[in-house]
Amino acid sequence: MAKHRGRGISTIEYPTGMNQNGDPSQAWVKLKPDGRVDVFAGTVDIGQGSRTVHTQIVADTLGVPYDWVTMDNTNTDSSPICTGSFASRGTFIGGNAVRFAAEKARERILDIASKELEVDASDLEIADGEVVAKGAPQKKIGIPDVAAAATWTYGELITGTGAAFKPYAAVDDDTGRVEIEPHSAISYAACVADVEVDDETGDVRVLRLVQVYDVGRAINPLLVEGQIEGGAMMGLGLGVLEAAYPYYPSVEHRGEQYGSYLAPSMQDLPEFDNVILENPSVDGPFGAKAIGEMANNAQPAAICSAIHDAVGVWITECPATPERVLRALDERAEPRRDGKRVVFDEDSSVRGVSSSGGRSNGAGFQLVDG
Amino acid sequence: MKAVGARLPRYDGLGHVTGRTAYVDDVRVAGMLWTKALRSPHHFAAVRSVDTRKAEELAGVHAAVTHADVPKNLYGHLEALGVPADEPLLADGEVRYKGQPIAAVAAEDEATALAALDLIEVEYEEREPFFDVRKAFDPDAPRIHPWGPVYPHFGPHDHRRIRKGDVAAAFDRADLVVQGVYRPTAIEHCPVEPQTGLAVPEVHGRLTIYSCTQAMYFSMGVVAAHLEWPLNKLKFVGGTVGGGFGGKVDTATETICALLAIKSQRPVKWRWTREEEFLASSTRAPWHMEIADAVTSDGWIIGRRMLTLHDAGAYTRFSSYGLTKHSFHHTGAYTIPNLDFNGYVVYTNRVPTTAMRGFGVTSISFATEMQMNRIAKVLDLDPWEVRLKNANRVGDTSANWVALSDPSTVPVVQAAAKRVGVELKPEFRLMTKDRRSGDLLPDHLVEQLVSTDGGES
Repeated sequence: MAKHRGRGISTIEYPTGMNQNGDPSQAWVKLKPDGRVDVFAGTVDIGQGSRTVHTQIVADTLGVPYDWVTMDNTNTDSSPICTGSFASRGTFIGGNAVRFAAEKARERILDIASKELEVDASDLEIADGEVVAKGAPQKKIGIPDVAAAATWTYGELITGTGAAFKPYAAVDDDTGRVEIEPHSAISYAACVADVEVDDETGDVRVLRLVQVYDVGRAINPLLVEGQIEGGAMMGLGLGVLEAAYPYYPSVEHRGEQYGSYLAPSMQDLPEFDNVILENPSVDGPFGAKAIGEMANNAQPAAICSAIHDAVGVWITECPATPERVLRALDERAEPRRDGKRVVFDEDSSVRGVSSSGGRSNGAGFQLVDG
Repeated sequence: MKAVGARLPRYDGLGHVTGRTAYVDDVRVAGMLWTKALRSPHHFAAVRSVDTRKAEELAGVHAAVTHADVPKNLYGHLEALGVPADEPLLADGEVRYKGQPIAAVAAEDEATALAALDLIEVEYEEREPFFDVRKAFDPDAPRIHPWGPVYPHFGPHDHRRIRKGDVAAAFDRADLVVQGVYRPTAIEHCPVEPQTGLAVPEVHGRLTIYSCTQAMYFSMGVVAAHLEWPLNKLKFVGGTVGGGFGGKVDTATETICALLAIKSQRPVKWRWTREEEFLASSTRAPWHMEIADAVTSDGWIIGRRMLTLHDAGAYTRFSSYGLTKHSFHHTGAYTIPNLDFNGYVVYTNRVPTTAMRGFGVTSISFATEMQMNRIAKVLDLDPWEVRLKNANRVGDTSANWVALSDPSTVPVVQAAAKRVGVELKPEFRLMTKDRRSGDLLPDHLVEQLVSTDGGES
């Protein structure tokens, strides 16, 4: 009876945006008479920090200080459509919407500044809230003065709208083939889990998670790390703790409060080592890709493989609870070898469980080895 | 100063940790009523009658609604694509999961609303429930929906399929076939903020709906569809969510609050209890996945056969969407040229499953990565090397024939190995994500490549 350590690895990919596309996000940017910036978009901040990220994108697209920008995402009267904060689409698709809107507003700023400075708009650039003539830095005008001129001299509103949308990708129902890409950029990650398994109690402790994410460009590294570590805790819950139906498919013993449902908490926190790779996307804002959802996908397999490395049993029914680990240790199941076939987990397969082998009346599931 | 790339704190952090963020439940309006719902005590039953008259007569009760009060009771997320609606807002004739709402009341306070529920008379006729997706086609399996045990609308098929290359030839050629079953289970979204909504009737006939939805326009569309209202009669107020993780893509409270607000002409709030959140809110789906991989003794995966059963619970919601996404990604971060995938959305008498972080792909990441590690073990190869060998490369095509323009499987694996001090052999350490050539372009990977001019080779 002892504690055993083991290591497991996993590698994943994840697409940005709704599968098969067709999910618009739109935005509106306007300047106040003093050059401060309002952004209206329907993207809900579900804690991932999208409002902060969108504000950063608008600030740099316009060339104004970050604290000049205020985003209103509070209601559907003032905000145009955003399909929603899901499918890892906030930074990329919502972010492109505010970027496109800011680019349009930037053009209007340059038009007005061009009149005020008597310099062609194509010879102007914006930085730190000022419009400056290229090669002649003494010729410049602050964006507050541009906005004031627009309001009080020209009687105009500096504004811009943006819409990010990729058309619906139809799928061939016979083959699954698509003719156009059914998502935006794909993100990638690798995870290494170090665990300790107690072969007497079946308890699995995740000691360390080393995780590498290619996010294209980290618009806000602090929030990317928040996603990596928060996602990892959800992945840890999936891997070793949580079950809505502890004896699935039975509905018995379903937890009905926090005290009878094991969500991960601080006591489960492993050591984290986060690595952010930046391999920019071609069409995301500032090269960004998504990270939101994928952040809980890599850990369960890395953890369960680490359990195998530690004590030699494959847990393929998540979560790897002490009961499952102990039962697996008792059984020490070996795969069935049949010619060149190596067959694991036969008892839990459709063929092993259903009375008809999954094929009543000639119809039914098309089995992998049938 | 550049904002992009800066470690700026999130704008809402200070409000959250000082208790100053206003969530939907913090919005209190004069004259506000509270909602409670009568939920099915049975997993599966016929509902012979529902009588709310005594409940409506209770002092302090202002309105009660059943399916008869809903202009369009049946809803489906894919109606615009021609898939028939299948989920009633309030049960009509049948309940298919324990906790399914049958009627709702609005009263002066929560205690009165709860007392009113006891006065609603319902006649049930219990039926045998069904829970194990693997038995869906057994002759004695209970029939949950009239159209059969699985979602039937994948074009002409009752399953999502992927067919690529020549999978039979790959299995003939294989040195070994490694087969496994992977069953990640359902989990709760577990947000600290339970489902909460507030509908306020405005003087000119509009409704303002305070919502914790993750998707204001999406939920507004759901409410508008049930009410058969144009969008300009609704205003959603939201944008602040106390934890969603996919569960608040479901429109859980808003429509029933709207119906009760219209009927009572009073503001109506519905705040789920923690028990409702656990027992009646949607969960992540449980998945059943069987994979058989045709492999060569030197570690190439040359073919995959796969069967996936997605436990939808009682109604479809987003299940067919999630399964299609699953099918598109069922080879993980690797290039497997010969594929035969069948995936089914199977109905059971549990709460409908829904979107959750990683929807459709979390399951396949688990199955694929367990399978990779098993293959490495069976072949006695290094799991890092098996991954790098089969990794997606520029010019490869995915399961559904999407040309991969810039896959990072190789760089992330190499970076992880370096970080934990694993010394890869030079050919793996120096490998790139670039187009395949030489030893990394064996015969079995030629046909799946796209040509450099963008078409297939």
